[in-house]
Amino acid sequence: MLIFDQLKKNDPALRLVALAVLVALSLLLVGLWWVQVVRGRYYQAKLVDQSYRTVRVPAPRGMILDRNRKPLAENRPSYNLGLYLEELSPNFQQQFSDWLSAYKQAKIPLRREQREELGRRARYAVASNLVAQVSGLFQTPLNLDYDDFERHYAQERAFPLMVCSDLNRDQIARVEEHADLPAGLDLDIQPTRYYPQGGTTVHVLGYVRLDNSSVSNEEAYYDHRLPDFRGIVGVEAAFDPQLRGSAGEKAELVDNLGYRQQESMINPVEPGMNLVLTLDLDIQKAAENALLRAEAQTRGAAVVMDVRNGDILAMASAPTFDPNKFVQGVTPQEWAQLNDERLRPMFNRCMQENYPPGSIFKPIVALAALENGMNPKEEYQVEADPRDKAHGWYSKDGITKRDTAPPGMYDFKKALIHSSNAYFINCGLHCGMRNIVRVGQKFHLGESVGLEDTRQQVKGYFPDLKRVSSGWSDGNTANACIGQSPILVTPLQMAVVTMAIANGGKVYWPRLLAQMEPQDPTLGEATVVYPAARLRDELGVSRRSLDILRTAMLDDTENAEGTAYRAFRSYYELPGSDRLRVCGKTGTAQVQNERNITTDHITWFISFAPYENPRYAVVVMVESGSSGGGTCAPVACDIYRSILSLEQAGPARNTTLARAE
Amino acid sequence: MNINPINERESRFDSLQLLAVAGLLIVGVLFVYSATMADEPVGLWQQFRELRFVEFVRWLLHELFFRQVIWYGVGAVAAVVVTFVPYQSLTRWAYVLYWITVVSLVAVLVPHVGSMRFGARRWIDLGFFQFQPSEFAKLAFIFALAHFLSRPQEELRSPQLFWRALAMIGLPFLLIMKEPDLGSALVLVPTGLALMFVAGTPRRYLLRLGGAVGLCAALFLVDVLFAPQGWRIHLESYQQDRLLVYFGRDFTVFAKKDATPADLDRMRQRQRDRSFNVDQALISVGSGGVWGKGWRKGTQNKYGYLPRAVAHNDFIFSVIAEEKGFVGGVIVITLYAVVLFTGIRTAGQARDRLGKLLAVGVVTLLFSQVFINIGMNIRMMPVTGVPLPLLSYGGSSVLCSLIAIGILQNIYIHRKGY
Repeated sequence: MLIFDQLKKNDPALRLVALAVLVALSLLLVGLWWVQVVRGRYYQAKLVDQSYRTVRVPAPRGMILDRNRKPLAENRPSYNLGLYLEELSPNFQQQFSDWLSAYKQAKIPLRREQREELGRRARYAVASNLVAQVSGLFQTPLNLDYDDFERHYAQERAFPLMVCSDLNRDQIARVEEHADLPAGLDLDIQPTRYYPQGGTTVHVLGYVRLDNSSVSNEEAYYDHRLPDFRGIVGVEAAFDPQLRGSAGEKAELVDNLGYRQQESMINPVEPGMNLVLTLDLDIQKAAENALLRAEAQTRGAAVVMDVRNGDILAMASAPTFDPNKFVQGVTPQEWAQLNDERLRPMFNRCMQENYPPGSIFKPIVALAALENGMNPKEEYQVEADPRDKAHGWYSKDGITKRDTAPPGMYDFKKALIHSSNAYFINCGLHCGMRNIVRVGQKFHLGESVGLEDTRQQVKGYFPDLKRVSSGWSDGNTANACIGQSPILVTPLQMAVVTMAIANGGKVYWPRLLAQMEPQDPTLGEATVVYPAARLRDELGVSRRSLDILRTAMLDDTENAEGTAYRAFRSYYELPGSDRLRVCGKTGTAQVQNERNITTDHITWFISFAPYENPRYAVVVMVESGSSGGGTCAPVACDIYRSILSLEQAGPARNTTLARAE
Repeated sequence: MNINPINERESRFDSLQLLAVAGLLIVGVLFVYSATMADEPVGLWQQFRELRFVEFVRWLLHELFFRQVIWYGVGAVAAVVVTFVPYQSLTRWAYVLYWITVVSLVAVLVPHVGSMRFGARRWIDLGFFQFQPSEFAKLAFIFALAHFLSRPQEELRSPQLFWRALAMIGLPFLLIMKEPDLGSALVLVPTGLALMFVAGTPRRYLLRLGGAVGLCAALFLVDVLFAPQGWRIHLESYQQDRLLVYFGRDFTVFAKKDATPADLDRMRQRQRDRSFNVDQALISVGSGGVWGKGWRKGTQNKYGYLPRAVAHNDFIFSVIAEEKGFVGGVIVITLYAVVLFTGIRTAGQARDRLGKLLAVGVVTLLFSQVFINIGMNIRMMPVTGVPLPLLSYGGSSVLCSLIAIGILQNIYIHRKGY
């Protein structure tokens, strides 16, 4: 080596010093090589660990639209007032040094821990002062919790600390008027779920709650999460994965104090899909309004279905509530109201509760009897109730059932429009429970209608063949024939029954979701179409039986003796030849307690129209109504009136969706 | 080597060494700039364009990188002065200088004279300059000891002389330890030993001395690391902590028997705090990889993970290694190697024993500082406040390092056969 050669050979001491220096420097080089080259990756990983924070960025939630693409659920900007601690750090320091000099002047020595405590207090004082200013500006009490503040300061300093979320219009105006908003305070905008129709369709849509936790198959660990929503019930819950899309991930590079320096997107968000429902907002509104008019505080449901394909056009439940409240959280008071034992506004009565069908079950008994050789013209003598001569009763073989229809001779049509219990008990006992069960099973009573994902669906109850083959008495059959225990149904199930009767025996799956389309069609994601008219089953009953039944049901509204005549009289007097002729059946079921004492009534009206070429099925149920004809038939009639005027106003109705497909 | 006539081709100065020093100075300015300005939104060029000239100068005078430039200038002037006064004449003042620094080392310990920073009294505030006597003490110490040992080799066999030489090392060592400035004090030990070794102190003395020093160091370490509470030598708590961190000892082993979980937590927290510097320096160096992240692009430096208070002085090497990677580190070490080996060559070519000993003293002093400082940046050495000569920010250190280079050049100019 250059320098070694120049050292005197006879100076071993110097050579030793040179050697020592050489060895030591080589040692440094090896050490450096070890740290930077061999272990470089390890330290790079450590660097990333300590200086990057990951943020979960929720995707924009898909909209929910009615069949004519009117928005039922969408996103609106919500304005939140946040405190940016990074901008406050000079103020923190100022406050701290002010206090410190005060201590110094007072000659109070501070230990290290005391100084640290003073620093924390100074930060909190600055921040809570700002919050107090905002509180004054909004004239609403706002609080800053010391522990929350410290946690946020320690862990999430790069992100705003929420002072006041979802400002109302007045508050936004105040903030904007206040041009010199104190430093560190800033409005930020987050998308929030918004239901422009308020309570309308609320039971179908369900509601969402603020929930920013990770879904399955998603990165579970984030340092920070931006607000996200999750559907709890209804369509929002059933199609939650599709609506919410997938959240993106953002990495923020922070400095040693946790302040944000740079940010970069790691995974892009994938926006959720828009849902197009089969609902028709106008019909839905008509149904809801009609229900509201039924009673002072209606507790009921109305379902409108397209009998040609099973599309649910309206599904109304009363009373309703405003789902927008759930987005930001409900007050305990509101929560108590929503959980009122009697009103139960959060219940979707169309499918979330089992009800005894009462007389609206008679068409099923009729079909079973007609298929099994009953002659509709044959007359049956209904005897008078000995205790109440105005009404008939059935009393045979130890079975006694009182009737609301008068005694006398009944053929099938008269029995149906008077809803004679005695007549139908007689038919049922003649054709046998097993045959009734077979027909009922074709309607898929007691089974799901395929909307269980909404978490709102109950299945009702319908006995199977096994149940009726042993331990089943004629008394049970008599009860079943008039739609009493043990049979239980939901209004939506009854709409399916009505649809199949109307369309000639085709039991379609009810369809609620028509299609799912990308929010931004240019991104190349495909629209998913859910086909209409998915056949589930065929009744397999003769055309003749159905015709007999339908004609009898038409008489229920058109014949002056019919139980629904009074409700429809003025409707038929409407001018215009193209009004829809309605076939219906009323029902009033008894709700009995354990001791078989009637405590309440469930009133029903099932119907379809027009008679000649049925398109609509309308099922109305009202809890504690006076009678099916008196309470529910007028609601259905109202709905038909609205449908009629809607059809007259826009002939395109009910075909838009078909065209879009 | 032999009696050379004046060789026209040979330079009067050791130009290779000067080149290496110039390289280090440039690296120094660049990385003090990076360490202090990486996070500033407005850089030098923009300041120059946007400020009026007077404001710009005022701004410059405030910035550490420019102060470093000024110190380089002052140091260069001092070095030139030192270079052209023959070292033999300088050495006449050796004992005077030695005693002056001893007095200033005592003065620094007196409250109101020595100013306290970071819990140590190391500085004398001269108003315009925080004077750090320990830096100058190192040079004065080399002069005095070299002068003392430059007597004929035979005289060094006397034990009396040996003890006197030891005392000359011991006095400043103890005073600097008292400040406390463990790093600066420790640097004196290898320097003194190297001088005695090269001067020709008999082997048996040196072996015994080496043995004694080694034994003391070992006992000291065992005591600090393992001894129970009452048995430990009194050290500043941070010094003890640094040693514990270096040897990877768990702080909680020193917990009292009745320590509450909160106490233990506090100790662990202290361990994290104490090892923070070292850990962050390692992450800086390691994450630099082979090529580094680029000048002023080091995230550890820029975003303050490498504590800003030390990035531009004791941990400047971490900044270089992070931003210029292994390549940068090798270049810096090579530059130092050039300075050190040319220094050893100078020692070999020195006209007399005094020159040789002075050169060896300066080389070992520079070397010890380089080794300890770079070593602590990559966790080969415990953290002690030893600056990296010529690169670390700091007036006293820069001034002394440049004067040291001046001494080497001085000896080179007056070398044999020239």
